[in-house]
Amino acid sequence: MDVLKQLLGRLHPLIVHLPIGFIVLGLLLQWYDRKRMEYGKVIPLVYLWAGVSAVLACITGYLQYLGEGYAFDTVKFHLWSGIATALFAFVMYAKLKGIKATNLLEKVPITGLSGLFLILISFTGHQGGNITHGEDYLVEPLPNSIKSALGFQTFEEKEIALNDENWEDAELYEDVIKAILNNKCVSCHNPKKIKGELLLHSEEGIIKGGENGEVIIANNASESELFSRMNLPMEDDDHMPPEGKTQPSKEEIKLIGAWIDAGHPFKGTIQEIGLKKDLFLSFFPKKHDFDYPDFEITAASQDSIKIIEETGVHIDLISKSSNFLSVSCINKPAFSDSDFESLLPVGQQIARLDLGGTQVTDAIFEKLAMLPNLTILKLDNTSVTGKNIESLKSLEHLKSINLTDSQFEQSHLQSLENFKSLQSVYLYKTKVDSKGVQTLNEGQIIIDYGSYELPIIPSDSIIY
Amino acid sequence: MEDIIKRLLKEQLAREAQAKTRRHFIKNCAQGIGGLALSSIFMGCDPLGKPVKKSQVAFSERDLNPLATLAPPFSPKVKSVIYLHMAGAPSQLEMFDYKPALHKLDGQDCPQSLLEGKKFAFIKGTPKLLGPQAEFAQEGESGNWVSNFLPHFKKVIDEVAFLKAVNTDQFNHGPAQLFMHTGSARLGRPSIGSWATYGLGSENQNLPGFVVLTSGGNAPDAGKSVWGSGFLPSVYQGVQCRSKGDPVLYIEDPDGVTRDLKKSTIDAINTINKEEYAKYADPEILARINQYEMAYRMQIAVPEVMNINNEPENIKEMYGVEAGKESFANNCLLARKLVEDGVRFVQLFDWGWDTHGNIREGSVDLGLRNKCREIDRPIAALILDLKQRGLLDETLIVWGGEFGRTPMQENRGNKKMEFLGRDHHGDAFTMWMAGGGIKKGASHGKTDDIGFSGIEGRVSVHDVHATILHLLGFDHEQFTYEFQGRNFRLTDVEGEIIKEILA
Repeated sequence: MDVLKQLLGRLHPLIVHLPIGFIVLGLLLQWYDRKRMEYGKVIPLVYLWAGVSAVLACITGYLQYLGEGYAFDTVKFHLWSGIATALFAFVMYAKLKGIKATNLLEKVPITGLSGLFLILISFTGHQGGNITHGEDYLVEPLPNSIKSALGFQTFEEKEIALNDENWEDAELYEDVIKAILNNKCVSCHNPKKIKGELLLHSEEGIIKGGENGEVIIANNASESELFSRMNLPMEDDDHMPPEGKTQPSKEEIKLIGAWIDAGHPFKGTIQEIGLKKDLFLSFFPKKHDFDYPDFEITAASQDSIKIIEETGVHIDLISKSSNFLSVSCINKPAFSDSDFESLLPVGQQIARLDLGGTQVTDAIFEKLAMLPNLTILKLDNTSVTGKNIESLKSLEHLKSINLTDSQFEQSHLQSLENFKSLQSVYLYKTKVDSKGVQTLNEGQIIIDYGSYELPIIPSDSIIY
Repeated sequence: MEDIIKRLLKEQLAREAQAKTRRHFIKNCAQGIGGLALSSIFMGCDPLGKPVKKSQVAFSERDLNPLATLAPPFSPKVKSVIYLHMAGAPSQLEMFDYKPALHKLDGQDCPQSLLEGKKFAFIKGTPKLLGPQAEFAQEGESGNWVSNFLPHFKKVIDEVAFLKAVNTDQFNHGPAQLFMHTGSARLGRPSIGSWATYGLGSENQNLPGFVVLTSGGNAPDAGKSVWGSGFLPSVYQGVQCRSKGDPVLYIEDPDGVTRDLKKSTIDAINTINKEEYAKYADPEILARINQYEMAYRMQIAVPEVMNINNEPENIKEMYGVEAGKESFANNCLLARKLVEDGVRFVQLFDWGWDTHGNIREGSVDLGLRNKCREIDRPIAALILDLKQRGLLDETLIVWGGEFGRTPMQENRGNKKMEFLGRDHHGDAFTMWMAGGGIKKGASHGKTDDIGFSGIEGRVSVHDVHATILHLLGFDHEQFTYEFQGRNFRLTDVEGEIIKEILA
């Protein structure tokens, strides 16, 4: 009997399509027949069959609910709406047949009832689909932005927040391993999906393993499927995560291995468990320390670049990952103050400017202030004395000024004091007293006077 | 008359037909169709992306100006590299890797367990351990170890990040040098400098992008392949400049030949070459066109850049320059000048580090000390000089040999040798890097008590390459060149960035 019950239960997904078909057919016929009124006898019959098959669907559905171990909470909406649909089919039959059961039925217009019926069948069907395929079945392929706009919870990436100070105190499992599993594995191995009967969202699930047994062999990462499958080549069918899903980084895989080798502890800080710092370095925040400001900018026009390059000035993207430009006069030593205006069309994008060895004079400083994103400035081997250098103070990204072998004068050094981002000033072979100030702006600006020496020592001339 | 023209035309067509072989035809077909297919695939993947026009690559602007600069895919930390290679393999045990335990074990038999399954170039039977022949001290704020063979180097030790446990699978000079510079112990791969200039070009249009300077009396054992371009276009190979006399031969115009005449000669030759290229599409013709043009431009720039005599006396003294001679010191000073003038990759080879103990020059206590003296001051000077010019932050300096040396004393022919020496050893040796993006004063990796193997932070040659490319703004896994039907990388299928020495 149990076998029969279970078998009948499993026929539910098949049988439900009968009432759906009948109801949709009935509704379509009603619409088609709205003016001609020729199918008056057929439509009630269709709804009768819809009602009968819907009752069958309800019975098999109930059996499936009993046999497959669904929680009532999961199926309740589907169950009640299914029963309602079955009943409503008979109501429609009665209405169209003209059976005068109640006064109420007579008063409601048929189109209203049909509309309600459509909503009911759609709702029931959708609820059923949600049970079989999961609630996010239809939403999953949508882009995240649309998902959240629709009010669906998007899959939440857990951030691994480690840095030089806190890394030892972070909980290894809770703060790191769990986050990796969450970001790369849990989208399939969660209570709703349970791919391979494996749950990776909780301690219990990880320890219990999946349909092939345990996924962790204590202290033995290479024998543990949780680790070894991630190391299989991409082409291997057993590789996890499957092709097309977000893959964990090498560092993440390595860390999972180290965690298993350490006995996969679920409690304890990194320090207590004793894992090495280098395993975690890739999770530390990346400092932005490049030759351009830390924001994005629109690309300079290729035409402007071309025009400038024709004058012999060299222009390059600093890298393909940014639109900031590096401009160099290495091939144009004749560059002078009056040539500067030609650079202005790309002025927003210039982050690195090498005017070393050119003819520029102090008049250049006021012009340079027109390059708001200038980060690295080279004025070495020029005749600038530093007069008006204070006009560069407005450049809040300026990090380094190279004045090596220029005529820079002592009196202009203090002008640099309050430059916001300035870190290095190179003053080798200038007129500034190298015994003077070594740093400015409370140590933020380091002045390099150069003139390093390597005094002769006796061993220089000993030949063995 | 008409007959002659017809005949000539026919002959011309016949020759062109001969030049276009079946292979050309099939290749063109394949490229055209492949390109079409590829572009549709790429269009499919990314509707906003531009279709890849593969068949056009061979005629790009870059072919006509192959050293035009290109932006690296990622933000670079350095613009230039100076690679200092000590050809012959310096002994890490007398320079950087301090092993007090080896001192105590001096003269004892090397344990068999270490020798099993190992290959040595010369060691036979059971060699004896050889204690460090130098005195070590911790220097600088970093407290990293350095020996008294390098008294000047200790002043720049805090600028440097050590790799104490580099390993290579090669134990003979030629293959090991090839591996160190091309990522493969066998011939045919491009050197690091070629990859760098291929990927980035070079800023100064009057100088080559990749310059090679040698010292020590000999070229490296692996020959010019260590700066060769392998399967990359020849234009990216290293340009070796002479270390003595004129850096480039025939730099001055001969009597009666004016510069204008020379220019028009070269223009004429290049016009013909371009026609040839249009016809045969052989990339070597492009390389030749560029070499002519480069040679012409170098005539002006080279005498100025390569002339170290004009440097001030104090700089020359700092480096220990020896005027008119071939020396590592001169090359270091030249390297700085070249980098200052926008050269992308400067490769220095210093020969004479092969300290087997068979001759006085090749002993770890005497000959090595002389070699150390020859590089000690120049290297310290190079680092300080780059620093004071604000160039150290945008230059990467790499120092190393092709492998290291054994903790055992060499016993060639199973006999005690006349001088103290060590055999080739690839299991663990020291390299260092300094400059932009490098963590100052770092030391990564550790060897066992006698310095035989790395026990912590072992890094491979591929890892070193991955790190160099990373600092130049490349992902070593993405930076490829298609050759013989597959994509090649400098790091083959290996290599991980050594993050521990990055700032």
